[in-house]
Amino acid sequence: MPRKIIHLDLDAFFCAVEELHDPSLRGKAFAVGGKPNQRGVVASCSYAARAHGVRSAMPMGHALALCPEMRIIPAKHHLYGEASKKVMAYLHNITPLVEQISVDEAFLDVSDLPNAAEKIGGRLQAQIKDETGLSASVGVATNKLIAKIANDVGKKSAKYGKSPFAITVVPAGEEAEFLFPLPVEMLWGVGPKTAEKLAERGIYTIGEIAKQSEKKMTRQFGKHGLDLSRHARGIDIRPIETERETKSISQETTFLHDVSDNAKLQKTLHALTRKVARRLRKAELAGKTVKLKIRWSNFETITRQKTLPSISDSEAEIFDAVQSLLEKLHSSGKSVRLIGVGVSGLGPPLRQLSFWEEGAEKSRELEKVLDNLNERFGKNTIQRGNFTEN
Amino acid sequence: MKITVLQENLARGLGIVSRAVSPRSTLPVLANILIATDEGRVRLSATNLELGITAWIPAKVEEEGTTTVPSRTFSDLVNTLPGAQVLLDLDGETQTLNIKSGASVNDVKCIDAEDFPPLTTPDMEDAIQLNVVDFKEMIHQVAFAASSDEARPVLMGVLLTVTNDQIIMASADGFRLSVRKATLSVPIEKSINAIIPARALSELARIAGDGTDMISMTVPDGRGQVVFRVKDAELVSQLIEGTFPDYEQIIPRSHKSRTIVSTASLLKACKQAEIFARDGTNVARLEIKASEDDMAPSEIEISAQSEETGSNETIVEATVDGIGLLIAFNVKFLREVLEIIKTPNVAIETSAPNAPGVIRPIGDDDFTHVIMPMHLG
Repeated sequence: MPRKIIHLDLDAFFCAVEELHDPSLRGKAFAVGGKPNQRGVVASCSYAARAHGVRSAMPMGHALALCPEMRIIPAKHHLYGEASKKVMAYLHNITPLVEQISVDEAFLDVSDLPNAAEKIGGRLQAQIKDETGLSASVGVATNKLIAKIANDVGKKSAKYGKSPFAITVVPAGEEAEFLFPLPVEMLWGVGPKTAEKLAERGIYTIGEIAKQSEKKMTRQFGKHGLDLSRHARGIDIRPIETERETKSISQETTFLHDVSDNAKLQKTLHALTRKVARRLRKAELAGKTVKLKIRWSNFETITRQKTLPSISDSEAEIFDAVQSLLEKLHSSGKSVRLIGVGVSGLGPPLRQLSFWEEGAEKSRELEKVLDNLNERFGKNTIQRGNFTEN
Repeated sequence: MKITVLQENLARGLGIVSRAVSPRSTLPVLANILIATDEGRVRLSATNLELGITAWIPAKVEEEGTTTVPSRTFSDLVNTLPGAQVLLDLDGETQTLNIKSGASVNDVKCIDAEDFPPLTTPDMEDAIQLNVVDFKEMIHQVAFAASSDEARPVLMGVLLTVTNDQIIMASADGFRLSVRKATLSVPIEKSINAIIPARALSELARIAGDGTDMISMTVPDGRGQVVFRVKDAELVSQLIEGTFPDYEQIIPRSHKSRTIVSTASLLKACKQAEIFARDGTNVARLEIKASEDDMAPSEIEISAQSEETGSNETIVEATVDGIGLLIAFNVKFLREVLEIIKTPNVAIETSAPNAPGVIRPIGDDDFTHVIMPMHLG
């Protein structure tokens, strides 16, 4: 029995929420994101702006050059969060097999429901539209890969300047036929680099990947090549994962102006570390490997990592590690554009207890108390003295 | 200096002393081995200023003398010499040592022995006599639990206390404690309380020989050193300054659960758990299951898991006296202590998942080991 998988994606989600919030925006070219003089990027853009060639993730300055009359709206994440919660609740009403991939996107496995997936998708679209005023597009297929690509294709073929509100179905057995003419970039896991490598070998469409033997693809691209080969033939056996397992927790920030001052970098890194540690503790996780990410002014990005002596969720221990990594990297005093810290190798926060280190235990107790206070009275209600940002 | 020695003896002597050589020292002479004629024998010595080792080998001395030979060159050369006999002839003017054996002729550049740190000859008259086999066992049961963290030098040592006829060794790295007691055949008059680097004791165990040999030990007044002499070899180590933590306080005086289990079975289970645990956090969980009634058999379940490699669990029959509980340990710590326990059965005593676990060999009250658990939260 083929599965029935739905991919549902809200159309220009942030912009749609903004239009509901301020109806005067309707039909106008606008984008949600940061200001161009603050290195903002487009988080979401209205379909009117898209008609001018504006795309999400584009630097705001670039977008304005394409569409000078475009308005820039600062993001209101709390509104998006509320709207997303409502939509996801509708999905969960239909089936518990919901895999939410982001704030505005989810997979549903409706194999066990009597109705056709297409019908379920259409009803969901209508319900979301009626009850929240948001437009959603739907892809229907026998696996996650095809459902997602079907939805992408459906959305692309929508009229310029309008919400797509698309529903695209790939019937069982027609997966390969559907995929073959599409460009390789539409396949998951094909970024610009892989696309370039494929082009060097004269491969431009998904069908051309499918023609290569699995062996050959594996030889050229490793394990990734094997996945590509299978996906290109429409094979994807991954189940709907209702709970995503966290593999790492990280925080990063791009500076308004490049920073070369080591003290400022350390301070920023400390603030990021505090957030990471707090998120770890909230998720009841601890990590073994600490990673430092730095993007220099010339956009070159490097990461360095260090394994902790024992698994940790402590701000102080993680900062010690990431600070030592920074010391090694930043002795040159180069300008930094972006800095980030991440923790991986996650597991339950099992700690090796020690005979004498009562100090460390007390420090942990303190961090827990601070977490609670910040939880109850809002972020940054209270912090350790030496880390306070001015 | 002109001497003839057996290749075999020279190679053995170099093997003993070369562990104290300090190849990367700022003092070039510390990368060398002192070679000197000494009352009809040849003395080989090396030191890194903290640890010094000397070995004496039989020799035919034609002409007295002394120099220092680069350790690596000399050892590598001697190990490959073709003949049974080695003739060493020093040109004192140029400090060149001519080494002949069979058809092999070599000239090795040496450093004048004047530059070598002076070696004191300790007075061994009041030395304590220790049985080699017993003392080596004490070292094996204690030295492994010492710390390798240079931030706390005291914990890199083994505390040795001798009072009357009782000798105690203790070491702790902050997470585990190993204590071993023994009785001397002859009581001593002056008590000893010294922190000896664990590494020095491990080296001593390596060179000490076996059988009926004895080890002489002395801690000369005001020198901050301990001297061990065994047959044909001597080891001098600097003591670690500082105060060793009061380890008696760490050993729990009571317990709520006591599990007796076969040492070999538990060790095997721990080794299996470690195969999985080593990829992650090194944690093995011990589920101690108390029996419902006295007649039912009880057991202990050892398990470990890893994101990458998978999971493992082993059930070992046990006698559980008291409450059942789930406690997690660094499996390497458990394995290391079980490996040095000689009795067929061992007891694990504990009270709670965050309280120390005490490991005791059944039938040997002289050894106690304490491990802090890994705790969730």
